[in-house]
Amino acid sequence: MSTLTEPVAAVGWAVHLPGPPLGEFLAEGFEEPPGDWAYEEAAGPARAATVLGRKGLLAKEPATRTALCAVHRALGLPAGARPDQPLDPGTAVVVASNLGNVATVAAVSRTVATEGGAAVSVLDAPNVSSNVIASSIALWFRFGGPNLMVCSGDRAGADALRLAGLLLRAGRADRVVVVGVEPDDEVAAALHGAGRYGPPLRGGAACLVLRSAANRVPAGVCVEPAPAQWPVPPRLLIGPGGLDLRGHGDLGGARHVVSLALAAHLAADDGHRAVGVSDDEMSLLVTATVARRAR
Amino acid sequence: MSALIAASVISTCLGDGPQTFAALLRGESGAGLLRHSGPERLGVHAGYHIGGDDPDRPFRAGELLAGCLRAAVRESGLDPRTARAVVLVGTGLRELSAVEHWATGGPVFPDRRLHFGDVVRQVLPAARDVVTISNACSAGGHALALAQDMVELGEADVVIACGTDTMTRSMLAMIGRVAPVPTTRVRPFDQDRQGVLLGEAAAAVVVVPEDWTGPVRGRVAATGLSCDAHHETAPDIEGIGRAIRNAYERAGHTVSDVDLVVAHGTGTALNDPAESEALRKAVAGAGPGPLITAVKGAVGHTSGSAALVNVDVALRCLDTGAVPPVVGLRTVLPEGHGLRFVRDRPVRTPVRLAQVNSFGFGGVNAVTLLEAA
Repeated sequence: MSTLTEPVAAVGWAVHLPGPPLGEFLAEGFEEPPGDWAYEEAAGPARAATVLGRKGLLAKEPATRTALCAVHRALGLPAGARPDQPLDPGTAVVVASNLGNVATVAAVSRTVATEGGAAVSVLDAPNVSSNVIASSIALWFRFGGPNLMVCSGDRAGADALRLAGLLLRAGRADRVVVVGVEPDDEVAAALHGAGRYGPPLRGGAACLVLRSAANRVPAGVCVEPAPAQWPVPPRLLIGPGGLDLRGHGDLGGARHVVSLALAAHLAADDGHRAVGVSDDEMSLLVTATVARRAR
Repeated sequence: MSALIAASVISTCLGDGPQTFAALLRGESGAGLLRHSGPERLGVHAGYHIGGDDPDRPFRAGELLAGCLRAAVRESGLDPRTARAVVLVGTGLRELSAVEHWATGGPVFPDRRLHFGDVVRQVLPAARDVVTISNACSAGGHALALAQDMVELGEADVVIACGTDTMTRSMLAMIGRVAPVPTTRVRPFDQDRQGVLLGEAAAAVVVVPEDWTGPVRGRVAATGLSCDAHHETAPDIEGIGRAIRNAYERAGHTVSDVDLVVAHGTGTALNDPAESEALRKAVAGAGPGPLITAVKGAVGHTSGSAALVNVDVALRCLDTGAVPPVVGLRTVLPEGHGLRFVRDRPVRTPVRLAQVNSFGFGGVNAVTLLEAA
């Protein structure tokens, strides 16, 4: 079934994949090289302060830091500046991630086994709860709307996008910040690799800021269920049969959100206008409503 | 707008829904010794376990869920072989106990077993979608909210909102770490409360549109959602208040309509005063105010199932006109003075509209309003 039942607008987006930049990978995938955005360095969790500022990162897990970086960039905030905003009850947060806190859970349980519970750090208390990434985003950016953590495996990103659309349709939010994120620590990689053939886990995040497209489509991109006659008109397709991100590593539960944010970059920032995102779980058409760079 | 509840099934330390409700009316508690190995290491000595199973065995959350889901499908009259239901599973701790089992010497397992997709499809092979929503202690309330939205907007004909949780050693260790003395039982809204204890539970609530022709247990008027965006673990009166107001706005009710609140009531230092204050603010000036009960003294904090356990209890209050007392409450905390807690024995009164509270780590709040069908 389709991820979204009705079109939504994306008014901000960011792909934040620490490690080798996407640019070279994308340049191999099609003739024209991508824009500068694809070559920008994405700060890893240890360097998250360069994006987020120095305060408040103590005891934040790598996945939470990476997710915060993706949101920060999707909102277009200046590097190193922590937002100082009043509470916004109209903005919801939906995060897809499966392995975000498994390293902390494993470490705390080992500490209990070897040293006893008195040795665990209370700073890890929020991190043993699986929703820590979504609630941390809400706290950091003061988003007071519904807050959802989706942990449904490889299709978590598609589910998160569907639920974001549902929150908009149901009038529960007028803006939804959707994030897909996975870490790449040893615990996460071991669980991800167990019984699975394919590329190794690639840590990273992406974020889209969604609004309703019911009345007026804001400047950005329109995301809608793919038309029956696929793939007309997209010139580019992300997914099997097109640009397959799995060549860049397995993004786990972050994959669908990364694919969609990448499509927004290509459609609007690189002037490709229409980009398809399609795989077994979701099939979406991304169309630029504003071209940031003419082609 | 509203949706109907075709079936509601729970499993707690006190038994199934009817057994749990009967025990609540008798004022019983299911608290016992914590059966995980090495309770002295965890700093937690008591818990609310289901059955005689070894709690350190992994993947029990999925087993509990499957049992409730199977029963809920049967009670609603759906054909388990063909039902194209959407299933939303709310959970606080997923199957993270399996991660702990592996980290301390057990076998590794594929990460797809962390969520409940495979478990649900064994019960309902034709399920359209299975989404695991990991929203801490209000996960079930969030699942119910989204289930109603999907049904109302025509995105699905049947949505089953579920909850399931066992305990993780990492969460137990955190509870033990912050408790000044080991808690022996949960005492919601008591001035001498000692903190929270976990309870194992699962729940499944079948949500259907108003034109449903099968069995009906009640009507869900609305669920209000909010996030405090205030503190990582401490609750916020303002954030809770927003969820309460959101529920009444969505339902088209006023707080003076409500007869009963099944409160979150965790027995912690922070939750119970904040919840009391939020309730007081919400119902201020609205007549005598609703009766208030809470179940965690009897069944423990059932985390991702907690909202739906409360829903099942509220449906039985609507149905029978009997409201169980707050098990574990002896002396009401100062912040609760003036609120109408049900004490010591059940109250018999017509209940037409009931409010169910659930609040989770990270300030995620879900407040549900239920009516008789």
